Amino acid sequence: MKALFQMTPIELIKITTKPRSYIGFLAITVIVLLIEFAFYIDGKTYLQFIMQTLEQSFTIQGNILNGNLICFIILQMLIVQMPLMVALVTGDLISGEAAGGTIRLLLTKPVSRANILMAKYLAGSIYTFLLILWLGVLALGGGYLVFGHGDLMVLKSEELVILRDGDILWRFLGAFVIAFLSLNVIATFSLMLSCFTDNSIGPIITSMSVIILFTIIGTIDIPFFDQLKPFLFTTHMIIWRNLFDNPLPKSQIITSITVLVGHIILFLSIAFYHFTRKDIQN
Amino acid sequence: MLLQSTVRKPLVLLLFVLFYSTTYAQTAKQIIAAVTKKFGLVNDYSAVINMQFDIPSVNLQKIDGKVFYKKPNKFRIKTQGIVFLPKQNPYFAITALSDSNSYTAILSGEEKINNSTTTIINVIPNSEGDLILGKFWIDKKNAVVLKSQWTTKSNGTIQIENFFGTNMAYALPDKMLFTVDVTKFKVPKAVAVDINSKSSPKSSNASGVKGTGKITLNFSQYTVNKKLTDAVFDETKN
Repeated sequence: MKALFQMTPIELIKITTKPRSYIGFLAITVIVLLIEFAFYIDGKTYLQFIMQTLEQSFTIQGNILNGNLICFIILQMLIVQMPLMVALVTGDLISGEAAGGTIRLLLTKPVSRANILMAKYLAGSIYTFLLILWLGVLALGGGYLVFGHGDLMVLKSEELVILRDGDILWRFLGAFVIAFLSLNVIATFSLMLSCFTDNSIGPIITSMSVIILFTIIGTIDIPFFDQLKPFLFTTHMIIWRNLFDNPLPKSQIITSITVLVGHIILFLSIAFYHFTRKDIQN
Repeated sequence: MLLQSTVRKPLVLLLFVLFYSTTYAQTAKQIIAAVTKKFGLVNDYSAVINMQFDIPSVNLQKIDGKVFYKKPNKFRIKTQGIVFLPKQNPYFAITALSDSNSYTAILSGEEKINNSTTTIINVIPNSEGDLILGKFWIDKKNAVVLKSQWTTKSNGTIQIENFFGTNMAYALPDKMLFTVDVTKFKVPKAVAVDINSKSSPKSSNASGVKGTGKITLNFSQYTVNKKLTDAVFDETKN
């Protein structure tokens, strides 16, 4: 256990020394600031367009364009892209060592392979957590700073759910926790793939391809795909949105969280099984 | 003689119809006048309001706030959150009826509403405006409107049901129930950034489908005729 705590900061330092680790932070910063700027300039027109059918019948009173709405829209937009940012780093954790020729040196340390892999997993998880935290600070903090507080109007294509201001913060916290779990699935998936190859490109591209494929299947409304959807982890990754439903679909959320945690355990187990038995030849 | 008889009969009938309709038109206007007179006792009021919403495709929790009214047609509901309100001020019709020369009123029978016998009066504006037809169910005994239905050019049909209690003397209801025509809410998935949602089976043909939305306003703690200032109706001030 002591070795694990000693190894984890070292692995974190390794992550920070790689330029690719900052791509995710940079991308999030640019995307979030761009969306906030666009909504600051033209947000009211965008909302008027969405609300036009209801405004024929009602006068809608209150501050619709607020920090809560901005954060929700950003989360909806970014949740598709963020797994790619995570895979870029976690797909390189083992294979990067192999490609760089440092894996032999690493394994000569008096630390078990299981601990090395666990330290890499923890470092990857901390990286994922920091990425989510940065998104939260920029999207929610920035949103509150520029647009202020207010009731959240959850935009759906066929429904509007309006949640009161005092009933929102815990939902965002829960959404960020689920987003962390979802990204952790990607982290463990790419880490698992990383154990099987000696170059970084393979696990990163494979992870991205799987995410894109699953997302496409999840988006298209075809009955055949509907049967597949419950088995795809990407289906459960968007469960954070259900935290903004009223009433809360608790069983659905618990099921999806269980599926996500199950995937993390499965991918980690496969990674452990393979890595602890792997014949290091380079 | 024969000619006299054939002319006299329709003439008498015509005079009778004219007399009958004029008498009843006056009666209808008298009933409305009693209602507007009673409501005229209210120069202004403020009250605590609780709003509940039942609008198709809109999931909106109930909310509390304050409501302000001042003669002739200043009305404001002040809340801390997002609310959907009917387009018209609830007293729009009564205010419009205060000028008896601006409309034609026709008695259309009687109907029981909540154990009260009401007289149904149809109102047609004399000049062209947003209001096409108004229908009022008036409790003559208490001189209050229990139900009204307005057909407007801009917002279709709006129905208001009033439930009176402690402030009957001022014709101020404890509860108002608005029923409004609503077009089903639907926007493209990409515009709502709802790309992962699954469309409901009915949704493909649902665009433009009309339903009815209900808004319930519960009033309490009325404060009547306390000389409200115009500042409370300033929408820019919270």
